[in-house]
Amino acid sequence: MDNEKIIRREKIKNIIFQVAPVVGLIIMFALFMILAVIKDINIPYSMKNILNQSVIVVVVATGAIFIYTLGSFDISLGANMCVSALIGAMAYNRTNSLLAMLAFCLGTAVLISSVCSILASVFNLPVFVTTIAMLSMLNAGVLMLIGANGTGDIVQVPAAAVSAINTTWFKLLVLVAYLAISIFVFNFLKLGRQEKFVGGNPECARLTGLNNSRLAILGFIMAGIGVGLGAFLTITYAPTLSRNTASSVGMDVIISIVFGGMPVSGGSRSKIYSAVVGALSMTLLSQIMLMLNLNSGISQMVKAIIFILVVYISMSDNRKNILPR
Amino acid sequence: MTKGKRLAGTIIIPVLVLIITNVICMSRGVTMFENSLNWLTFARAVANVSLVTFALSINLNSGRFDFSVGSIALLSSVFSATLAVNHELSPVVMLALSLLFGMLLGLASGLVYVTVKLPPMIVSLAVALFYEGMAYHFTKGHGVSFINNRELLDFASIPNYLIIIAVALIFMIIVFDHTTFGYEYKALQSGQKVSVNIGINEKKNTVICYAIAGLLMGAQGFVSSTTTGSIQMALNFGSIGPMFMAFLPMFIGGYIGRFSNDKLGYLLGAVSTSLISLLYVRLDVNSSVQQVVSALLLVGFLIFLNNENRIKNLFRKH
Repeated sequence: MDNEKIIRREKIKNIIFQVAPVVGLIIMFALFMILAVIKDINIPYSMKNILNQSVIVVVVATGAIFIYTLGSFDISLGANMCVSALIGAMAYNRTNSLLAMLAFCLGTAVLISSVCSILASVFNLPVFVTTIAMLSMLNAGVLMLIGANGTGDIVQVPAAAVSAINTTWFKLLVLVAYLAISIFVFNFLKLGRQEKFVGGNPECARLTGLNNSRLAILGFIMAGIGVGLGAFLTITYAPTLSRNTASSVGMDVIISIVFGGMPVSGGSRSKIYSAVVGALSMTLLSQIMLMLNLNSGISQMVKAIIFILVVYISMSDNRKNILPR
Repeated sequence: MTKGKRLAGTIIIPVLVLIITNVICMSRGVTMFENSLNWLTFARAVANVSLVTFALSINLNSGRFDFSVGSIALLSSVFSATLAVNHELSPVVMLALSLLFGMLLGLASGLVYVTVKLPPMIVSLAVALFYEGMAYHFTKGHGVSFINNRELLDFASIPNYLIIIAVALIFMIIVFDHTTFGYEYKALQSGQKVSVNIGINEKKNTVICYAIAGLLMGAQGFVSSTTTGSIQMALNFGSIGPMFMAFLPMFIGGYIGRFSNDKLGYLLGAVSTSLISLLYVRLDVNSSVQQVVSALLLVGFLIFLNNENRIKNLFRKH
């Protein structure tokens, strides 16, 4: 009887921890709506802004879940996106074809992601450090591409060329399509299950015959697709690209994923929806700060406190007598 | 291992880098150390890189990734520079304040980590955001400028940098190799669970580690700010940049550590990377090429470290 009680209590606890990020998002949304009504703010316009700001991070973060599930970490996602967007924009300027632009965005992002993971697999390098080196190379690549384009500090696609797809519906369509594919691959194909296994216990997974390197490469390819789509959406939203394009995306992705309840160690508790919940929550939080007229410094401090509180609640069933590393 | 082998293993990388960088310079008709300004640039780079490397290595070697080191340097230097400018304090007092603030900020970061017991990477993200925000709010986004304060700017001299480097190295060696804290740190590093089970106070040890890392970053913030006479604000993780310069020296230090003391290794790693930085300056290499070369060096060295046996076997067969 006592055991049953303990098991039930543990189950309830687990559910609370799992829904904490979603509850956080709902609270954030409610707060946003209340403030919008009080301050008489145009809600549809604000919602559109929130979508515009969060959709790119959601797409990139959704792909990044495939890397994080393995217990890996890629700090070069933002720089990868910037390079892919620059190459996509240059491809458009040469061909006047949006399809070519999409193809180059996707191709470049997947290629860069693959190189990173293949390098790490072939030479037994720690993935994280490989992505640090890649970050440095890509930042240099951004400067070279902008310089090579001969337009000074920017690479530009005519706004008229992308105006037809710079709509909320198109962005939602891309987002939903990529989310659907990711959910299918993650939850219904072997890849997702195997990734969770590797993330949970890489040694055990290897001993049971799983090829960890192959899984890492596939995970990075899935992330690359997200980065490529993010690059494409970036051009449609802001067709003037500079060295600062997507500069904060890499860290926004990490924050969003963790905020959405994803454990950084990966494994079986990984969820695709963490990316959506986290990115939306962070964007809503930023909007709330704006509505409260907080300066950037205070707003970032409040963000940090809320971030740690939400993550603390959503991960508090995982504490042991030794400190996590 | 013989003394000769130890010595060779310890100095081989910096000596090789010194020879290669000088040969490259000479082939382009440039002298690496032509005037005192070149020496100053070199000494400053060694001081900056070695301080960040020491700070980052303390937690990273224990599996704790710390994104917040840059933000600690930023905030501690903002506080100390503001006080120094407003109260016309001397550079030594500003350095002392920077160290104190750095240590306190590191201590706070460590306390948050041991209290919430979340993965250190997550905690350091939140701490970095918080400290960046605090620095921004404190200076109202304008940063701190003291470009007309000759007394503070005159601190930037080779002897001063050498003193800072020497003190930091001696401090690191004494604290981590010759104290109970250091022994416990190493025990926790190699066997966390066993160490906790035999009674080592992990929380106390960890908080001290963060405080020491903060202290070192306080010094780095001071060196960095007295170089330019201004402190620029950074938001949205703009402060994590300095962290990246520490990876290559850290790996070089790890390699040298096999032959001698790992802290000395970090310093020699910093010397090696600073020689490369000076080479960039002397040859006027543009920043894109610098970044690519640095990244290739990092990957190349890591490939060597992680495939040493394979490479040795390759040579043995032939």
